[in-house]
Amino acid sequence: MTKTVFRYFFDFIEGQEKWLNKMAKKGYRLKKCGKMVYVFESCRPDEYDYAVEFVADKSYVESKNYRQFLESMGFRTFTKNINLNFSVGKGRWRPYAKGMGQVATSPGGFNKELLIVEKVRDGKPFELHTDLEDLISNYRAFLNSYLWAAVCSIVLVAITFMPNEFNHLLLLHIFRIIIGAVGVSFIVLIIKYSSTIRRHKKESKTNE
Amino acid sequence: MTLITFSDILYITVNVMMGEVIVIRDNIKGGALTETTFLVLLALYKPNHGYGIMQFIEKETNGRVTLGAGTLYGAINTLLKKKWIAPIGNEESGNKKEYIITDLGRKTAEEELKRMGELWHLASTIMGGEME
Repeated sequence: MTKTVFRYFFDFIEGQEKWLNKMAKKGYRLKKCGKMVYVFESCRPDEYDYAVEFVADKSYVESKNYRQFLESMGFRTFTKNINLNFSVGKGRWRPYAKGMGQVATSPGGFNKELLIVEKVRDGKPFELHTDLEDLISNYRAFLNSYLWAAVCSIVLVAITFMPNEFNHLLLLHIFRIIIGAVGVSFIVLIIKYSSTIRRHKKESKTNE
Repeated sequence: MTLITFSDILYITVNVMMGEVIVIRDNIKGGALTETTFLVLLALYKPNHGYGIMQFIEKETNGRVTLGAGTLYGAINTLLKKKWIAPIGNEESGNKKEYIITDLGRKTAEEELKRMGELWHLASTIMGGEME
């Protein structure tokens, strides 16, 4: 029996991870996923654990290598998008990434910003990052992408306040409110993840 | 393979000017390896692949250290870049890529063992008396 669910996550790492684990607890195993759709099949409750990895800061080749590595460790992986874009033959600049990871194209690394990793539950906690240093750099990678997104939405809202001929239109106000709300939700997540980083950093002063 | 940075030169200059002839390497660059790095190096004294490294570390530390796959992947890539380990066989063999420690890696691991020995000696001299 399969179950199809439509969902989109602003908190694409931890929020999505939590939800997938909740589904697995209820006895639903991820079969495939699309832009906003998740298809589950029935499994025994608590049979699988899920983790979501941010790979948008890596180049396409690098993220493919990483995926291959995870598969060789016995995990099942899925690629997942962050943004809702429906296009082919498109490129994007990612100022928050490193080196070649800055350019994403479709087909290619575009719309494959995340990896969903599935592990058969074996009693041990499912942690992909165990080293404090590594945890911090991992959090920093997607914090940077949220920062960039927040800056973009602030700039967009600021532009609407510039003198223009649409000022009297209701549509402009609606646009402003929507982008503003999106921006605020980014900022909330930025605060959440920065406090996580701060906690880890404090610990890394004395412990490894 | 120690890189001398501007801050090192400044540090040495200040020390010489202050009349301190003995140059003590500052502890950030004191050569201490992270536990992850050292354990991965040890796991690669024999050829091993990713999953094997993880199992080796878990077994040899009696489960005290378990490496996450992401952390291990990062560690392998860093060590490859530093040339402390090298891949075996053809690069394209994909899934079960095997690695081995290099001479440079061995040298680094030996230095780490020496550092740990000195630390162990110091600690047991000071703590040893109290524990008895």
